Amino acid sequence: MQSNKREKKEQILGYFFIVPAIIYMLTFIGYPIAYNWIISFQDVTAKTLGSAARDFIGLENYKMIFIDLTFRKALLHTFVYTIGCLVIQFSLGFLFAIFFAKKFALSKPIRGFIVISWMLPVTVTALVFKFMFAESNGIINTILMNLHIIRQPIGWLLQGNTAMLGLIIANSWVGIPFNMLLLTTGLNNIPEDIYEAASIDGASKIQKFLKITIPLLKPTIMSVLVLGFVLTFKVFDLVYVMTGGGPVDATEVLSTYSYKLSFQLFHFGEGAAVANVLFVCLFLVALVYLKTISKDEVI
Amino acid sequence: MKKLHLTYRHKNILLSAAAVIIACIFLFPLYWIAVNSFKLDSEIFASTPTLWPEEFTLKAYKDQLGSLSVTMKNSVIIAVGSMLLSLCLSVPAAYGLARYKVKGMKLFVLIFLITQMLPASLVLTPLFLIFSKLGILNSYLAPSLSTATISIPFIVLMLRPGFLSIPKELEDAAKIDGCNALTAFFRVAIPISKPTVITAACFSFVFAWNDLAYSMTFNTKEIMRPMTSAIYTFMNQYGTKWNSIMAYGVLLILPSCIIFVTMQKHIVEGMTSGSVKG
Repeated sequence: MQSNKREKKEQILGYFFIVPAIIYMLTFIGYPIAYNWIISFQDVTAKTLGSAARDFIGLENYKMIFIDLTFRKALLHTFVYTIGCLVIQFSLGFLFAIFFAKKFALSKPIRGFIVISWMLPVTVTALVFKFMFAESNGIINTILMNLHIIRQPIGWLLQGNTAMLGLIIANSWVGIPFNMLLLTTGLNNIPEDIYEAASIDGASKIQKFLKITIPLLKPTIMSVLVLGFVLTFKVFDLVYVMTGGGPVDATEVLSTYSYKLSFQLFHFGEGAAVANVLFVCLFLVALVYLKTISKDEVI
Repeated sequence: MKKLHLTYRHKNILLSAAAVIIACIFLFPLYWIAVNSFKLDSEIFASTPTLWPEEFTLKAYKDQLGSLSVTMKNSVIIAVGSMLLSLCLSVPAAYGLARYKVKGMKLFVLIFLITQMLPASLVLTPLFLIFSKLGILNSYLAPSLSTATISIPFIVLMLRPGFLSIPKELEDAAKIDGCNALTAFFRVAIPISKPTVITAACFSFVFAWNDLAYSMTFNTKEIMRPMTSAIYTFMNQYGTKWNSIMAYGVLLILPSCIIFVTMQKHIVEGMTSGSVKG
């Protein structure tokens, strides 16, 4: 009886600490997401914005966006961008992690320092890359021309394909150190004596990498890739500032297109529908992520 | 053939040199922001970019002073408001999840994990409609309330392991000395976790300070804009005034850089624990 009462008191105290934050998140993220689904079935324009009674129009908004060519392009671009970023930031991040895992005087300070790019406002990152990729007097064109790799200055952000490449490079500047950091944590968790035992058995460096590092790092690799997917797929600031979705709509992604529909064209219903497509994609991948991490550890 | 044997010292120097070169290339954009903010228009427009200003000048900064006083004030108020709000909610939540065995704990952690992954662009439209109904568009409240949602889950996930590692006996001893649950939290748990709580405060400040999407959408009036959306508008109007844009950029990255340099170790640790697991 006594212990039961005490347990109950513990429960109440626990809720007292936890519940305010939960209510906050449900109010400002959970409720808006649910509300977003309702908006996406309504006819919401600048005119009907203030009125309480908005017409339900069923799947009309979804029909509109799926026959919309720009939406289809945005969906494709989001995947191209995400996969491009993942390939670059994972492979280079992995190389960096292995390099900085070597023991030398400056390894730790420099490894720690390059992570700074993750802390900077994406707005500024986008602006400086836009500046560096500029056609006339951009530093990237100047360097490439001095190295005789290109003859004429390239308008990087003025053509569809190169603009997408520019975005991927700018995002990787933030993504590489982040991937490196998470992979380093994973590498440090591999016990040193496994490598020593393998050395005694005469294993080569490549053998050790393929037979020890990769298998033991697999859970980390999985979560880095899936988390990277979620974080990259939701890109907004970078694209919005660097290319604004242009030239024409060559770099339009789901988030920028949703923003454009809602806040520039005032088709709030369609904007909400595009955001919901983004939500479904993210949610599916997030489920995979939660499954992978809950296998390794108790959440 | 004689095999090349590098002594440890040689190897150390060689690898360190390689690391310095990598860092210089990698951090070049940072240098480029700073160095171009000290150039004159004419030098920016010159056909070949210069690696160091021919004429070192603060003109780009002086040109911006007028608008900066307003936008910087807005940025500070929004970021501090967001930080206070998010600390008040997330620190107790992290503590509660670590200290008390409550029913539905897994669900709570899951809610933080999931909401952390959902981006601003998902909730921009509905939050805009909600805030416009509440009449808080173009106020400090709208961006502060919304940016706090970025840091709350991050801080909860980041602080929980630290609170878990505080021995329970410590608090039990405090309770014998007359502490209740609340004073145990304020007088025992928080002082012990001081470095990580300070790191958490820094993260929430920086997240709000860095935000563009929320503040740009909710605060459309020029007088209420923070620096991020002001620099964006400025770029659209004067796209080639790169020295002014970079001067603005320097001031925008300054808080993050100062915080990062002074408490690098804590920041880097916090990044991993805050973004990965519970």
